[in-house]
Amino acid sequence: MSRSDPGAWQRTSPFAIVFFIGRTIKSFTRSLIQLVATFGALAVLIERNPQVALVIPVGILAIIVAGVLEYWFFRFRIEEDRIHIHQGIARKTALDLPFDRVQGINVERSLIDRILGLVTVSLDTAGSATAEGQLPSVTSELADDLRTRIRAHRPATVADGIATADEQAEEATPAAEESGRREPSPGQVILKLTSGDIARIGFSNRNLVVAAAVLGLLGQSLDFAEDRLRPIFESAGEAFAGAGALIQVLVVIGFVLVGLGLVLFGALLRYHGFTLWREGTAYRTRAGLLTQREVVVEARKIQQLTLSHNLVMRLFRRHRLRALPAALLPNQGGADAAGLQIAEVLEVPLLRARQAEDLRTRVFGREGDALTLQPRSPAFLRVSPVYIRALTLRISFTGALVALPFLVPLLQSNAGTNLADAVQGLLGETPMLGAGSAGTVALGVLLWWLVLIPPAALIAWVRWRRQGYLHDDDGLASRSGFLGRKVDAFLFRKAQSVAVVQSPLQRRKGLATLNVQLACGPLSVPYIDHGIACRLRDYMLYRVESSRRRWH
Amino acid sequence: MFINPEVPLDSLPSADDLDWQPLHPRFVRRLQVGALVRVLVVGIIGSAAYFLMTSGDSAAMARFADRLLPFALTAFGLFAASVLLWPMIAVPRRGYVVREKDILHKSGVLWRSVKAVPFNRVQHTKLDSGLLDRRFGLANLSVFPAGAGGHRIRGLGTDTAEQLRVYVSERIEAEALDPADED
Repeated sequence: MSRSDPGAWQRTSPFAIVFFIGRTIKSFTRSLIQLVATFGALAVLIERNPQVALVIPVGILAIIVAGVLEYWFFRFRIEEDRIHIHQGIARKTALDLPFDRVQGINVERSLIDRILGLVTVSLDTAGSATAEGQLPSVTSELADDLRTRIRAHRPATVADGIATADEQAEEATPAAEESGRREPSPGQVILKLTSGDIARIGFSNRNLVVAAAVLGLLGQSLDFAEDRLRPIFESAGEAFAGAGALIQVLVVIGFVLVGLGLVLFGALLRYHGFTLWREGTAYRTRAGLLTQREVVVEARKIQQLTLSHNLVMRLFRRHRLRALPAALLPNQGGADAAGLQIAEVLEVPLLRARQAEDLRTRVFGREGDALTLQPRSPAFLRVSPVYIRALTLRISFTGALVALPFLVPLLQSNAGTNLADAVQGLLGETPMLGAGSAGTVALGVLLWWLVLIPPAALIAWVRWRRQGYLHDDDGLASRSGFLGRKVDAFLFRKAQSVAVVQSPLQRRKGLATLNVQLACGPLSVPYIDHGIACRLRDYMLYRVESSRRRWH
Repeated sequence: MFINPEVPLDSLPSADDLDWQPLHPRFVRRLQVGALVRVLVVGIIGSAAYFLMTSGDSAAMARFADRLLPFALTAFGLFAASVLLWPMIAVPRRGYVVREKDILHKSGVLWRSVKAVPFNRVQHTKLDSGLLDRRFGLANLSVFPAGAGGHRIRGLGTDTAEQLRVYVSERIEAEALDPADED
């Protein structure tokens, strides 16, 4: 059990039972509505017939038995170049996973795992969704051994990336990597988050904005809270007469504090002790207060770097960086859409601009020197202002269409009559528009669309200002955003396919949109000169087609 | 724009002035037959709805149906005409080119696109043909790079499609085996 004896079938640690039970419960609770409905129905049934309550212990027992059985039937065997995993109680599945198809190994340690010194290993596969290789509750030695095997089995590459000096040095001393659960040596650590950073992550939580909006809505139902709370205050001797306003303020402050506490705690849970380090040819992160998660992504498998920041992060002058590996490789078998498997994304939740640039140069190596991830960089080229026009039209049309189901009944009612009267009064014409007639409806929709144009134009203008691109010999960076900003950067040789698309408007203006398909998803540069788009496409094809390096 | 001393930009092969291969001539017919089927289905559903509305008990409903009829017929006529004529406009504007290192596919009448997939990024290829395709002796070729659903070239002759598939597969192999020629 302690070592991964090649060829022998083995079970994981019995503590995996907890994992299987947890997984069953998780799959049960995946849909909250379903859960609430089930419990609601159960409650009603128990109320009518208390004997139904027996269902609960029986159900719990069934889940536990299922967990034990799953553990019993879960067996794996590690061979030189592959791992076999057999599992399933009724429906047996046999997974045969060759190591060279493994995109990444991720290690997760739940609270129980940590107490017992175990880990749960997930193997990211570049294949079908069913090929989910997960080993619950195994020893960390086994996880390390597996990682070494997978790395050792990496196909011999012709020219595998530009090995930097320190990378080669690390490859030369693999012995250091073998020793148990590896703590990153100080030299390898690239970045660590402090508690201040984690507080910043909490404050820049997107949900906080949503929470504020919800709070606004709650403000309207505060009377309710007031009614509930007033008796308490009154029983306290009617200390103050105008307690109502005070209670409202207190309730709002209470909500704010609770919300803040929740997001801060969430950030702490997820990112406590966040460490990013480089190990051999891979980047690894580890973080988490109770459940510690590790993400490992091989440097050469990174397809794209995405730097983003929202409004709050802008205030803190911090960014978020994501390194995206190939999301899915189509199955060799030909089942195309079924082959979806999202690989683990390496995320640095908070870092400074300088650190982001440093990481970019590390990941891209010598390539893409002139690229930058800084949204403020003056090197970014603007796209054509025609983009504003196209976007204004698109946004306002969408707005008008979305409003149509609400607008039509409204126009057919009184408001429509008034509108028709107003227009006729304005034009001084004989009545030809009646309330509810097709004419009024069309006129109303038209007016609504016209009303939408100025705000749409404003949005489009802001988005145009954010839009930008820049490229050098090796890669391209595309900037976009509305309130926040985002920069996506990739190397030309990692492109999977390229398309130049022209709308009728773009054709008239000699513009085009460049769509690049990467293994992690699409990326587009809208409204650039058609000639430039074509040249970029041809150059990109040249770079891809003349590249002999592995792209993943 | 770029500085790239080794390969002058002008000498790069351009994907603009290419000898685009048209799709199979029967493809227009095949699309039209497909469209006709759709038109018939819509027509049957529409007339069924009309008869249901007029044969019902509600007189108001029947009046409404009669008022709606001219509009519905006009809309149906326009729909049928456009759907049936569209392939004649769209198909000549589609095409493909197979080069040594990549395959290009253009399509679109209003929104035009030219897509290029390099062979050394193709994971696998697929041929498929539906019932109608087979009746017209046509097949569709898909090439799948990583990350996307793949690019499908519709309306190839069965033989052409098979030849292309074999060629693309050979090219994929060749690109994979090509000895190092470091860039």
